[in-house]
Amino acid sequence: MSISSHHDAIITVSGISKTFPNGVRALDDVSVSIARQEVLVVIGPSGSGKSTFLRCLNGLETVDRGTIVVDGIPLDHDRSNRLEIRKEVGMVFQQFNLFPHMTVGENIDLAQRRVRGTSAADARTVSLELLAKVGLEERVDSYPARLSGGQQQRVAIARALALRPKVMLFDEATSALDPEMIGEVLDVMRALAAEGMTMVVVTHEMGFAREVGDRAVFIDEGRFVELASAQRLFDAPREDRTRAFLSKVL
Amino acid sequence: MSRNSAAALREIGRNPLLRVLVDVAGFLILVAALGALLAHNTAALGYRWQWHRVPRYILTVRDGQLHAGPLLLGLGVTVRIVAVSLGVSIAVALATALLRLSQSTVGQALARVYLEAIRNTPLLVQLFFTYFVVAPIVGLDGWTSAVIALSLFEGAYASEIIRGGIVSLPAGQWEAAYSLGLGRRDALRFIILPQALRRILPPLVGQGVSLIKDSALVSTIAIYDLTMRGQVIVAQSFLAFEIWFSVAVIYLVITITLSALVAVMRRRLVGSYEH
Repeated sequence: MSISSHHDAIITVSGISKTFPNGVRALDDVSVSIARQEVLVVIGPSGSGKSTFLRCLNGLETVDRGTIVVDGIPLDHDRSNRLEIRKEVGMVFQQFNLFPHMTVGENIDLAQRRVRGTSAADARTVSLELLAKVGLEERVDSYPARLSGGQQQRVAIARALALRPKVMLFDEATSALDPEMIGEVLDVMRALAAEGMTMVVVTHEMGFAREVGDRAVFIDEGRFVELASAQRLFDAPREDRTRAFLSKVL
Repeated sequence: MSRNSAAALREIGRNPLLRVLVDVAGFLILVAALGALLAHNTAALGYRWQWHRVPRYILTVRDGQLHAGPLLLGLGVTVRIVAVSLGVSIAVALATALLRLSQSTVGQALARVYLEAIRNTPLLVQLFFTYFVVAPIVGLDGWTSAVIALSLFEGAYASEIIRGGIVSLPAGQWEAAYSLGLGRRDALRFIILPQALRRILPPLVGQGVSLIKDSALVSTIAIYDLTMRGQVIVAQSFLAFEIWFSVAVIYLVITITLSALVAVMRRRLVGSYEH
């Protein structure tokens, strides 16, 4: 099923299932292995389990069955393993989730200082570098509420990059944005992909998904219905359900 | 005639200055009427107001030096009890709130039992229980008993305020902190509590004001706080009206001062970031 061979996989997901306490089956026996520098895009109808899948990859959700290994570290009940994995995996949320009581700079400094123990000065140097990368260096002392949605999401991406993660997870990063701001965020994501960042991207932006994704997976009712190269999945879907979904959203 | 007065009323309704004047005049008439009633009734009681005898209970001059009178001494005791109880009750409250939000079943149960026990019994009984039952067993003095009883009582209510502030924050704030590799303690300390503080400070100040008022009950276990001093003075001087009036005003002054202080602090601490 997987294109990449196992030995250069950075994330290996084997047979994970997850049922929420309310009885909703969010994931049903899902397996995939994600290669270094690969961009995997995840599409599917709302409530299909895309976000749950993504949130399992850094342990924000726990799985009922199956295993996840990230960069050789098993994501299990061991607390230090989980923290170790979260250093390697950055995450960007639909609602940005910036810390409103901290300036942009402080948002990006925090994890460096608390998790890596970096000095204030060194952390700020890195934060400014990352802000320059998303084109917001001059907003380092602004509070998030003073930024537009697009700017906030770019700051959130810079923040997620603060620990120099090996993998970035994007959970519908542009879904809460006004249409005119989607482009600036997608540009940053595109640049990251071009740098060779491993990315798992849950998105409704089908054009972007086809363009940037190496592989794409269509999820429905918690199952991987179809996993293929992004081009093949979008241009010549083989499963009826994939076709039906794409014909609705394209 | 009636047409004229109706027109005059309409005029008053339109003119903002006139409207305020009529409003204030109405209030003054009411106060004057109540004052007259009070004067008439106290005269009927034969009460002689002797305000000139009150100042010596607040400040006295002895040997050319200014000394605090019994009311001020009592205020000192009240302030000290309140200050210590405030600190202890916030610590108790935070610990209880965190226990209730923890994964530990035993911790949750303990916090729950404590809350229900405190909230469903009278403070006066808790005070007596601490002073007459617990204190002799573990060897506490009255002052410590008072602080413990007040702290446990106010802490129970404050813990619900703190817990409410914490759970009212969006889950995304926790998730963002966790996704950055922060542990639960760091998430609380740097992300959750600073934001919750902004929401819980106003109701927490209300709880602080309650603490000041409730502290008057410690006079029942022989602590010479403001209320106890008032009682003693009244017993000696029969200045019941003047002294209880003064005591009430002193409580009012410290509660209002506390609220004002916190309002200033709140603006400086957490007022800025949403603009």
